[in-house]
Amino acid sequence: MIEEAAPLIEMPEEALTPREHRLERGAAVLRWGAIANTALSVLVMLLALAGGLRLIPDLFPTLHAALLARVAAPDDAAIAGVILLTQVNISLLLVLMVGILAREVWALVGVWLLALVNLAAVAVFGFTPALLTVVFAVWSGIVITRDTGAFRLNPVMLKELRGRMRGVRAFFVLTVYLALMSSFTALLYLVYIPVNRATGSAAAGEVGRVLFMGIVGIELVLIIFIAPAFTAGAITGERERQTYDLLRTTLLPSPSFVLGKLESALSYVLLLLLAAIPLQSIAFLFGGVTEGELVLSFVVLTVTAITLGTVGIYFSAITPRTLTASVRSYSATLIGAFVAPIVASIVLSVVRTALGLSSPIIEAALVYVNDFLVSLNPIATALTTQELLINRQVVGFWTDTLASNGSTIPRVSPWITFTIIYLVVSAVLVVLSIRRTRKVEG
Amino acid sequence: MTDLIIETQDLRKRFGKFDAVNGLSLAVPAGSIYGFVGPNGAGKTTTMRMLTTLTRPTAGEAWVAGHSVLKEPRAVRRAIGYMPDEFGVYDDMRVWEYLDFFAACYDIPENNRKRLIDDLLELVDLTHRRDDMVDKLSRGMKQRLSLARTLAHDPSVLILDEPASGLDPRARVEIRELLVELAKMGKTIFFSSHILADVSEICTHIGIIEAGQMVAQGSMQEMRSQLMPHREILVTVRDADTAEKALSLVAGLPGVVNVQRLDPRGGRSRLRIDYTGDDEGVAAINQKLAAENIAVLGFTEETKDLEAMFMRVTKGVVT
Repeated sequence: MIEEAAPLIEMPEEALTPREHRLERGAAVLRWGAIANTALSVLVMLLALAGGLRLIPDLFPTLHAALLARVAAPDDAAIAGVILLTQVNISLLLVLMVGILAREVWALVGVWLLALVNLAAVAVFGFTPALLTVVFAVWSGIVITRDTGAFRLNPVMLKELRGRMRGVRAFFVLTVYLALMSSFTALLYLVYIPVNRATGSAAAGEVGRVLFMGIVGIELVLIIFIAPAFTAGAITGERERQTYDLLRTTLLPSPSFVLGKLESALSYVLLLLLAAIPLQSIAFLFGGVTEGELVLSFVVLTVTAITLGTVGIYFSAITPRTLTASVRSYSATLIGAFVAPIVASIVLSVVRTALGLSSPIIEAALVYVNDFLVSLNPIATALTTQELLINRQVVGFWTDTLASNGSTIPRVSPWITFTIIYLVVSAVLVVLSIRRTRKVEG
Repeated sequence: MTDLIIETQDLRKRFGKFDAVNGLSLAVPAGSIYGFVGPNGAGKTTTMRMLTTLTRPTAGEAWVAGHSVLKEPRAVRRAIGYMPDEFGVYDDMRVWEYLDFFAACYDIPENNRKRLIDDLLELVDLTHRRDDMVDKLSRGMKQRLSLARTLAHDPSVLILDEPASGLDPRARVEIRELLVELAKMGKTIFFSSHILADVSEICTHIGIIEAGQMVAQGSMQEMRSQLMPHREILVTVRDADTAEKALSLVAGLPGVVNVQRLDPRGGRSRLRIDYTGDDEGVAAINQKLAAENIAVLGFTEETKDLEAMFMRVTKGVVT
């Protein structure tokens, strides 16, 4: 009997199968792409600094012509745009890298899409740094497309969604959510109409805008509470159910595990968001709200959900218990997105009064720091973005005039910086969570 | 010698100041059913967690199916099916979904999974519960489902931590039969237990661990002869005088190591003969007693069970 069993010992010699080797290689190419882009953006930042301080004459026009030739914007705005676009590429490369390791189908499609979009950016905007991303994305794409069979539906996501969407619970939650949102909308309308009549300004557009802002606001608050709650128990729950060890003795890659948990939680949050879009659209009946606002509000909501979901996952990965993980996620969110920016902006206004408006450089610096602080908080971001959209018709970049000497500086609508900051934070947290779940206990 | 499928060398695991596993050297031959026995807290679970790449050893090395636990953890995972003592069961899944999920985790293509699940359910006799929710199953059924899960990727070694603990007698017998069946399919089964009856009935090999160290290991026959070098024959006679006569008669026979009077039971005197000879020798002793007209009421050879071996080698040291 023992002799018969012997051939069974002949297991694959290598720890990694050829398929796993290929995926690792594809992911490594993207990692190098991200590193190259980081180096590039640091270089551009240093050059911009040198140009701004007039260390090198005529640097801004040269940079503008070299990096973003076909966009007719002020030189400084163009350079800021180059830096921001590079950040977008970095976070997308990181996300795709994790996606490839997790063998997600969207990563396979995404790599080629990223190459295409960047190619288009070169053609349309003359955004030459995109060529870097094109090279790495195509390279990685060629490596991984040779084995499309490696990409599949994430088993963890499938399992979670099967559990979550089973029975009446999921639909009951959705119904209650929509009922609450509808009654809130109705309430807002009923309260606002008498106020409007009393003041005599019966602009229908304003009704529409108030309803829209009310709905988006309450959705934002809900997401801030729901997203970490959905994910904080994702990994600790497996530990508490004693299933974590089982999963770790299987061949499931850590990236698949972490991404699967994130995807399942986010897809439910996304379902809630999509279900509320018809409600938001009621505002169109009254006018006063543009499609741009609808799209931007959806972007802000989705990015908030993604980032807070990742915060939950991260604390779930590093904490043993669900309760502790929830408390930590909420504390981190509260401090990072609310307490710290508010305290900092109070400090900033004190500093501003103390310094006065003497130097244009200090004033510009204060303006940028303030913009950064606004971009840390989703609610402030939403409000400022909308304000810019309505009062200045600004979607992306705009030019501001300094009060001290009347010179102009380029500024960015906060939703752009918000999206970039939040996505970079998510990408980093996902990578850290994967690293933590990979670790073997000592 | 036969190939070893699990081998450890001076394996150590230290938690703070406490040595959970202290220089363990394990040798599990391929195709064996290996019972890993020891009192609670002896280090069985820690050893298994090191073999399944869940815990990193403090020192020493371990190989499973020829792969180093430290250097090739993925290859080890491919080769093993692990069932922890707390069976992790998702409460919001159906039986087939549970197996489907783990099959997917083991990278089994979707097209092959349906057949695989049917086969596995048939093997563990759960076909009729295919569409039931996992948390509606009895404890024994959950345990069988867990066993099916460990088989999803056709591993060569099964590492099972206390597979029969907490089960009712019928479920325990069912699990035992399943293990024998799996061994017939060519799988090596390495399982821990503190219930000795389970081990002695199905094991081909046994290892006894105490306080993180291997006290004794080998095949069942080796262990018997090693730990119990002689046979024990129990002779029951009517009274003390007869017993005395029998004692003086037997004491001089070749192969008899020791003869001892035991405490009388039920008014009858008893003798224990420690004997090293073969079956003919035993029969000869019986004939000799009859020939000398000693009225023997009972003449039995005591089969030394695992319990006795266990008590003999362990000192009850559990730190």
